[in-house]
Amino acid sequence: MIHRRTLAIAVALVALAGCTKDPAPIEQMRLTEQAVAQAKAVGADEQIPEMVLAEQKLARAQKNMNEQDYKRARMFAEQAELDARLAEGRVLTSKSEKQLADLNARIKRLHKQLGAMQ
Amino acid sequence: MNPIAYRLFAAAVATVLLTGCATEPDAEQSLEAARDSFQKVKEDTDALRYAPRDVIRAGDSLSRADRLSTYWGSDADVQHYAYLSQRYSAIAAEHTKLSVNQERQAKLQMDVERLQLNLREAKLLSVQQQGKWLEEQINLAATETNRGLVLTLGDVLFDASDAELKPAANRTLLKLVQFLQLNPRRVVRVEGYTDNRGSREENLELSKARAQAVADTLIDLGIDQSRIQAVGYGADFPVTENASSRGRAQNRRVEIVFSDDQGKLGSDR
Repeated sequence: MIHRRTLAIAVALVALAGCTKDPAPIEQMRLTEQAVAQAKAVGADEQIPEMVLAEQKLARAQKNMNEQDYKRARMFAEQAELDARLAEGRVLTSKSEKQLADLNARIKRLHKQLGAMQ
Repeated sequence: MNPIAYRLFAAAVATVLLTGCATEPDAEQSLEAARDSFQKVKEDTDALRYAPRDVIRAGDSLSRADRLSTYWGSDADVQHYAYLSQRYSAIAAEHTKLSVNQERQAKLQMDVERLQLNLREAKLLSVQQQGKWLEEQINLAATETNRGLVLTLGDVLFDASDAELKPAANRTLLKLVQFLQLNPRRVVRVEGYTDNRGSREENLELSKARAQAVADTLIDLGIDQSRIQAVGYGADFPVTENASSRGRAQNRRVEIVFSDDQGKLGSDR
């Protein structure tokens, strides 16, 4: 009887310990995949160093998920998510800089034309 | 311990120390870099305005890394959270740049629209002035007759018994086209005339061909066909005698009769 109790407690402890171990970062993987897809959608490609990092780390995270190395998977996925978001931000900023340059060029042309009209 | 074993041992100890040294500063370095980045975005009022959530996350990750750095053997975690913190700072900075650019873009877009409006107004004014100028020019060149306003395209425009318009006519015709474009209600009658040499039929045909050559050019330059009539009067209605070659050259001519500004033409001769 005592033996069985001890066993039960031991099993419970092991189970608890199992619970406190890293759980599979399923939600984080989803977030990361989404962030990478979104960065791609706005035009981030291998020209952007952060995008290369994001793809590499996502691949590593997926590999670690398969190996049930969840701690590493989570870390890589977390980093890849931010890499992708930064890549996306850089693409959007550079696009807006180009648009600004276009606008400035247009304004210059308009001023010139107006000057010629006077 | 023999000397070789001793040396190996010493080397092993050195390696362990070196790796120990190598990991510690790594974590410390990334922590330092994360602190610097966070400091910058934290002091950037634009960043606080445009990307407050990322700034907060950069700070949270940084304090987590700071806390972890006081524990032994947590270098990997320290570096991880320092990395995340730095990324959040960079994302915040990037979003801030983007938002500032977008605000600037909106302002410039308004500038563009204002300038376009100004330019349109200036152009309109200039077209009106140009229209007046052209009208004056045409009025100067044309004479008021009982048929209405008549512009004579001079004798140099056609060779004898030829209906082909010489290039010298282009300037006058371009002016005429501009005038007609600026006065869309006016229509014209193009009248061809010849000197008195040759038969009556030939001259009628030649005069008609000359008028048509001018009309075709006007049409080619964009004037609607419906605004142009072409007629030929042969050797009738000479402007001067046909006895001299000079007189005959003057009689070889095309006259443009303008309607009034309501599109009403005087009757045919």
